[in-house]
Amino acid sequence: MSEHVSEAGESGSPYRDGERLSVVANALELSQVSKTFGGLRAVGGVTFNVPERSIFGLIGPNGAGKTTVFNLITGVYRPDTGTIRFHNQELSTLKPAQIARAGVARTFQNIRLFGQLTVLENVLVACENRRKAGLVSALLRSQRFRRDEAEMNQRALELLAIFELDKMADETSTSLSYGNQRRLEIARAMMLEPKILLLDEPAAGMNYGEAEGLKKQIRWLRDRFGLTVILVEHNMQVVMGVCEQIHVLDRGETIAHGTPEEVRKNPKVLAAYLGEEVDGEGAQASREEAAS
Amino acid sequence: MSPTLRRILIPLALVGAVVGLELGFETLVPDAAWRQLALFAMVNVVVALSLNVINGMAGQFSIGHAGFVGIGAYTAAIVAGHLHQALGGGDVTFASSFVVMPLALLAAGSIAAVFGLIVGLPSLRLKGDYLAIVTLGFAEIFRLVIATAQTGGQVEGPVAKFLAYLGGQNGYAGPDKTGVPQYAGPFWIFGAVVLAVLIAWRLKFSGWGRALRALREDEIATASVGVDPTRYKVTSFVIAATGAGIAGGLLASMRDGNPTVQPDQFTFAYSFDAITMVILGGSGSVSGAIVGGVFVTFTVKMIEQLQGLESVQSLMAVHPGLDLNALRMVVYASVLIGLMILRPEGLFGERELVRRKPVQRVPGGAEPLPVRTEAEVDAAKEGSAVPAGKASK
Repeated sequence: MSEHVSEAGESGSPYRDGERLSVVANALELSQVSKTFGGLRAVGGVTFNVPERSIFGLIGPNGAGKTTVFNLITGVYRPDTGTIRFHNQELSTLKPAQIARAGVARTFQNIRLFGQLTVLENVLVACENRRKAGLVSALLRSQRFRRDEAEMNQRALELLAIFELDKMADETSTSLSYGNQRRLEIARAMMLEPKILLLDEPAAGMNYGEAEGLKKQIRWLRDRFGLTVILVEHNMQVVMGVCEQIHVLDRGETIAHGTPEEVRKNPKVLAAYLGEEVDGEGAQASREEAAS
Repeated sequence: MSPTLRRILIPLALVGAVVGLELGFETLVPDAAWRQLALFAMVNVVVALSLNVINGMAGQFSIGHAGFVGIGAYTAAIVAGHLHQALGGGDVTFASSFVVMPLALLAAGSIAAVFGLIVGLPSLRLKGDYLAIVTLGFAEIFRLVIATAQTGGQVEGPVAKFLAYLGGQNGYAGPDKTGVPQYAGPFWIFGAVVLAVLIAWRLKFSGWGRALRALREDEIATASVGVDPTRYKVTSFVIAATGAGIAGGLLASMRDGNPTVQPDQFTFAYSFDAITMVILGGSGSVSGAIVGGVFVTFTVKMIEQLQGLESVQSLMAVHPGLDLNALRMVVYASVLIGLMILRPEGLFGERELVRRKPVQRVPGGAEPLPVRTEAEVDAAKEGSAVPAGKASK
């Protein structure tokens, strides 16, 4: 695995400020991961490493297999071939709930909240696996159960306060606005106390200002909780602004990997789709360059 | 009233009420038929409460609940019958019910739980409607195995002998065939309802119930936060089966009830009644299950009473094909269709009669996410996209 570490080092230090150690351990290592649905090769031999405490972008045009990679990491699908290692623990044989308990949290592209549950309850479900009091003490309403509940409530409300949702704790989650539902999903994922957070298109439907806010929030979450963040995103403003490394997929295959600057200039990426997304004449010029 | 005082007084009041019912039930309800109906309604409340755990809270569609009620009924009838003999037979006394009922109900609940595990473990691993088919099949197999068993004459083998002992279509009437001893008076039945309501309530408002409800809303999302769907579904199914078994035990030894346990009591129609109770009251609502259980039981009785009316009798003389019992299904179907149109979530939805006060604590020392700067907010205003995050301000 040391080979992978040096590889990550070559593609530019994950930390632009250079204050931290140059050699960092990987939080997640995907090696030759493939998944086929019927005759469709959704993901074909994808390999990448995500350094610990980095913000890592996974981009590509529609149907590139980004969400499938997320589903493979979180165990929703099982890879046909390849290995997925998370802090030296093999994930590809585990069930989704086990992977979540190992410290992998995620949000969903098409928001998946527990609709009829309140905002607070949505977050509380995520600490169900840490609950010390069992079913019997819940039935007896024992001291331990009540202390457990109080602690969990407190923790959940703190998290909701971070996402400015604490005032709506008792509303059902379906009554929230779209943006708040997205934030609630992140809050729920954070309640799991994860080591790595997978965000699937968090900026979808956000305007310029909100996307700027999101960038700040992602960095802040990483620093505050010592997280590793993987981001699937179409919004280039967010991806280019916040990610330290970017991995580009097209039709299930890796076409590029590197820092935002490197990826931005990569002709293959531009050919695949990036050219129209990046504003400014530079991109326009380089696209023409790539085409010629 | 202080909380400590309340914690002592409320249980005392409930025990007092249940004992009072035991002593004064016959004065309160002089008509035996109505007493039977009231107790049957209470048994049905337990059935509805147990089915509500798996159908309402966990959102898994089980349509063979009568099978578990039946297993509990037969088990309790056998245990109670033999214990009654062991105690020397004679009259059924309130004192001896304290020996018979706990053991009979424990046996009924445990055996039903074992069957719940056997049925639930394979079918709940699968997604979709497998559970519905498997539970339906299970309940019918259970009923038909008993109903079609060879009785009388010579039967070979332990299984066949056991089935013959259960009496086939004619039903089981205790070890000496004089009827199952009717130990379950108002004390036991109302007591069971109180306990069942308490348990259902506490399950619903515990982390476990929360996870179950989350599971009903979205299985993938529930797994993504570390809750193992299969484990929670199987546990809830076993709990539901246990509750149904205990209800069956009460039904078998119900005072003023049918002293014979018959396979025909546990047909699909009964499973359907149970589903009606849950859906009518509101899936996932404890209050709803109580109201649904009582309402459905009494509707059945009302139709029977209607049948006894002279006008209906004379109408039946003219039209021999008229069968109000068959009309029951029409009435149910109409009520359900009407409900689905007017109140698709049932009478209560997921809500309860008594509002549970939300546990609210002022969080201390939480740092909110970095707030957007003025410039960014201005930029946001210029943007044409929907300001989704605005509501939080």
